[in-house]
Amino acid sequence: MEWDWDFVWQILPTLLEGLKITLLATVLGAAVAAVVGLLFAILRMTAPKPIARTTGFIVEFIRGTPLLVQLYFIFYVLPDIGIRLPALLAGVIGLGVHYGTYAAEVYRAGIENVPRGQWEAAKATNLSGRQTWIHVILPQAIPPMIPALANYLIAMFKETPLLSAITVLELMNQAKSVANSSYRYIEPMTMVGVFFLIMSLISVVFLRWLEERYARVEER
Amino acid sequence: MSMRTFLTLAAGASALMAAIVVTPAFADDAKLEELKAQGFARVAIANEPPFTAVAADGKVSGAAPDVAREVFKRLGVADIVASISEYGAMIPGLQAGRHDVITAGLFMKPERCAAVAYSEPILCDAEAFALKKGNPLKLKSYKDIADNPDARIGAPGGGTEEKLALEAGVPRDRVIVVPDGQSGLKMLQDGRIDVYSLPVLSINDLVSKANDPSIEVVAPVEGAPVYCDGAAFKKGNEALRDAFDVELAKLKESGEFAKIIEPYGFSAAAAMSTTRDKLCAAK
Repeated sequence: MEWDWDFVWQILPTLLEGLKITLLATVLGAAVAAVVGLLFAILRMTAPKPIARTTGFIVEFIRGTPLLVQLYFIFYVLPDIGIRLPALLAGVIGLGVHYGTYAAEVYRAGIENVPRGQWEAAKATNLSGRQTWIHVILPQAIPPMIPALANYLIAMFKETPLLSAITVLELMNQAKSVANSSYRYIEPMTMVGVFFLIMSLISVVFLRWLEERYARVEER
Repeated sequence: MSMRTFLTLAAGASALMAAIVVTPAFADDAKLEELKAQGFARVAIANEPPFTAVAADGKVSGAAPDVAREVFKRLGVADIVASISEYGAMIPGLQAGRHDVITAGLFMKPERCAAVAYSEPILCDAEAFALKKGNPLKLKSYKDIADNPDARIGAPGGGTEEKLALEAGVPRDRVIVVPDGQSGLKMLQDGRIDVYSLPVLSINDLVSKANDPSIEVVAPVEGAPVYCDGAAFKKGNEALRDAFDVELAKLKESGEFAKIIEPYGFSAAAAMSTTRDKLCAAK
């Protein structure tokens, strides 16, 4: 086994095509996760008991089953009841809903961590529910959530190769199809690792910055 | 330096030289000896009946492993142990030493012949399409798929059908890589692909098991060649391959070869009418 740079240059455009899809899936998945997570968190905290209970059960169910199983379910089983999603959309929904349940817990923790006194003070000063949320609770709840949410974003990014199981032509799948026709794994798989490492390192720097930026909020 | 030390050194050096010179031939035979000693050969299969099949109880059958089992038995290797692999991963896996031989209906093509050491031909088959009843897109060849901008084809990743489709000019985004036969059939039923391509016997087996009246088979695909597979060994294990060929030829001659593969639907005459050299040279 030896490293062949010519081969690397030759497969690079194909792999970059895959990287595009990987990033697209991550960004869309993150957007879905942010919205779904918020929905789950609100339902769990403010909805009437039966609905909150049901939501809690769904969240635990999704968190307790593997993402790969969920992807297979969305892609191969849902068509049986007439829902046929394109591969990428199925993947984005799978990633989004799965990580949405994690995000929901982050939201919940962030909101519950605002001291009770703040709620009471808001009531005492005659603020409406809307004002309480927008001016008192959320400004204190959101900053500590951000590093945790960014952490899940990186985790989700690294889970995108699972989408290759449902025929999404993302980075991992492109590398596999290159390896399939060249009978070489060393260059494609190394390059996949390198791409993920580069993206993760950039994200880590960004994450540090976020942590520093928002850790100071209390001193303000 | 005393005479005695010199002699010892010289003797040692020449012994070393002899060992180096002998090693290649020795390593070649060693592979068979090694398999005999461990009592089994590791084979790569794909679970694509009738080429290769794994029963619910884990027993490996199918025409390709059955032939390999018989040949290895005659070579003194008691049994085979199979691991299921994607087609595209078989040759890299062989090169990485994960299995000793591929017996999976991996058809001989020039670029594959360059990568592995094939035995003489074992199983031959043409290509086929499974598609929706009535063939709504009127697809009869890979060229038809290339010409119809709406037609999407499913094929195993790294398999012969994927290459044929790409060679016929079907763009990459309309060649869907399907992980296994069941997924392929499901994707066809769900309308995710318009045609699923595999060798004739594999498609027939899949479709008859699915027992779905909305699926029909087009076989053989127009303009697609007939391919034969062989047992594929790692380059450097040519001695083992040659030993395999000798026993395979005897099997073919005695008629036992036909007895093994014909119940699966394969033609022994087809395999015997061609040779590795011809198939590897074919374009």
